[in-house]
Amino acid sequence: MTAILRNESGKHLRSTLTLTGLLVLLSAFFLVVFPSIQEEAELFEEVYPEYILQLLGIEELHTIEGFVGGYIFPFIWILLAGIYFAYISAGMISDDIRTRRMDLVLANPVSRESVVLQKVGALWLPLVVLNLALLAVLLTGAHLLGESIDLVPLAMVHLLGVPYLLVCAGIGIVFSVVLDRVETAQASALGLVFILWLVDGLSHMNPDFEWVGDLTPSRYYDPTAILVHEEYALLDAGILLAVFLLLLGMAVFIFARRDI
Amino acid sequence: MRTQIEDVETESDHDEATIRLDSLTKRYGDVTANDGISFDVEAGEIFGYLGPNGAGKTTTIRLLLGLIKPTSGTAEVLGEDIRDRRALTEAKANVGYLPDTLGFEERLTGRQALDYFARMRGDERRDELLELFRPPLDKSIETYSHGNKRMLGIVQAFMHDPDLVILDEPTSGLDPLKQDRMHLFLEEERDAGKTIFFSSHVLSEVQRVCDRVGIIREGELVALEDIDDLLKRGGKQVRVHLAEPVDEQRFTTEEMIDVEVVDRTVRFTYTGEPAALLEHLVQYELEDVEIGDPQLDEIFKHYYGDDGLVGGE
Repeated sequence: MTAILRNESGKHLRSTLTLTGLLVLLSAFFLVVFPSIQEEAELFEEVYPEYILQLLGIEELHTIEGFVGGYIFPFIWILLAGIYFAYISAGMISDDIRTRRMDLVLANPVSRESVVLQKVGALWLPLVVLNLALLAVLLTGAHLLGESIDLVPLAMVHLLGVPYLLVCAGIGIVFSVVLDRVETAQASALGLVFILWLVDGLSHMNPDFEWVGDLTPSRYYDPTAILVHEEYALLDAGILLAVFLLLLGMAVFIFARRDI
Repeated sequence: MRTQIEDVETESDHDEATIRLDSLTKRYGDVTANDGISFDVEAGEIFGYLGPNGAGKTTTIRLLLGLIKPTSGTAEVLGEDIRDRRALTEAKANVGYLPDTLGFEERLTGRQALDYFARMRGDERRDELLELFRPPLDKSIETYSHGNKRMLGIVQAFMHDPDLVILDEPTSGLDPLKQDRMHLFLEEERDAGKTIFFSSHVLSEVQRVCDRVGIIREGELVALEDIDDLLKRGGKQVRVHLAEPVDEQRFTTEEMIDVEVVDRTVRFTYTGEPAALLEHLVQYELEDVEIGDPQLDEIFKHYYGDDGLVGGE
């Protein structure tokens, strides 16, 4: 039974390609400004207030690794891609219920559990395409800039980013089965992912509240540590994966029992 | 309970394709959409589920498909309890469904949408059905007219050759020619052994194709009977405009009920044979005659009692 998986994957194709194009352009733009940033990196680190640097997790800005980990990933991956996954997941169930597509789907001999799992499974497409596209841009960009960037940490920063994006998708899918209105579900998921990102950054500013940041998913994914220090926090990735499975289990449980 | 078990044993092949509602109830807050509805749909019949818009027909159908859960009571579809999600899911391989609102994946073409459903439940009769109902398969569904969507819906409901087909207002949006084709098709399917559950708010349609009818109103089943009985009770709405005023006593016959005389105009419901009515009427000097099917509301008013609508007419 993979009909829904196939159909949903096809549905993501257009938005995936659009977003990929957008993020590729953005990253290319970031890379274009890298040489000038590199020259003035020290000045930059003086000019920027401490909390901005911490918010963005900036370290070693004058190296390509520091730049990619400090600028490109926090912005493009943690914020924009995270929001995208939360947003499309939030529409998965609620939109089908509202347009009555779900009636026709559930008239088939397919369980509700399977419907949710296949829909979430269809996220393989944006996950693979976005990762490969960004990887290609970074490698090409670094090469054109005459920099060399180590392939293993670069691959790891993509790989360990997957559990983070899945947690964002998990947030979306829970909103999608709980809230009836598509717009509300999507706005809530998008808003929550943004707020979590903000809280993680801001919590660094006050030591008394730093523990609050431990509740945000981005705390468990640190591109700078991976790229600059080659620290691969597998346990953190495992925690994110567990949270994703928990959210997915919640969504399946709720959806299987609710009226549509 | 004992008789049910005996039925199953003696007619095991036949009794499988049935729907059995047992005090099925669905409430939304204070609103009772279905109130303790009980009836059986037997194998190999076309069962009409008749009621005005908003009476609760779609609620019953969505309960039967497990899309919503009953507040109390239950039902069986092809022998499976609708509260048993797993069993009901498996039973759906043998059920066809045409919803009132067709939620197709609009970006797909008709052909792709049928392929999609075929992967989940088969399509052995697709080609045969597409000769009868011809939606433009290679166009995307967003460009479809209402009637084309409905035809695509009919094809997907029957293409896996299910034993039971549940149709929610199947002819709405179809032009009269296609409606006739649909009615004929349903009769053929019934004769081939399918059970068809057919909801409608159009009395004449139900009278034409159904073997038995359940009438639902404000969430309650108000009648359950053979279509012939309903026809007898239904009668004809007649309005006669006479050349001069007439004595009500003299004009009225036994077959006329609810006679209303206003000056030279007489309105009544006629329950007898049409020939007798015409013979009776030609005795008078007529300026105009209208004979028509009664509206569903009229039937409720005359035969099932009505508190709200009598004065409002």
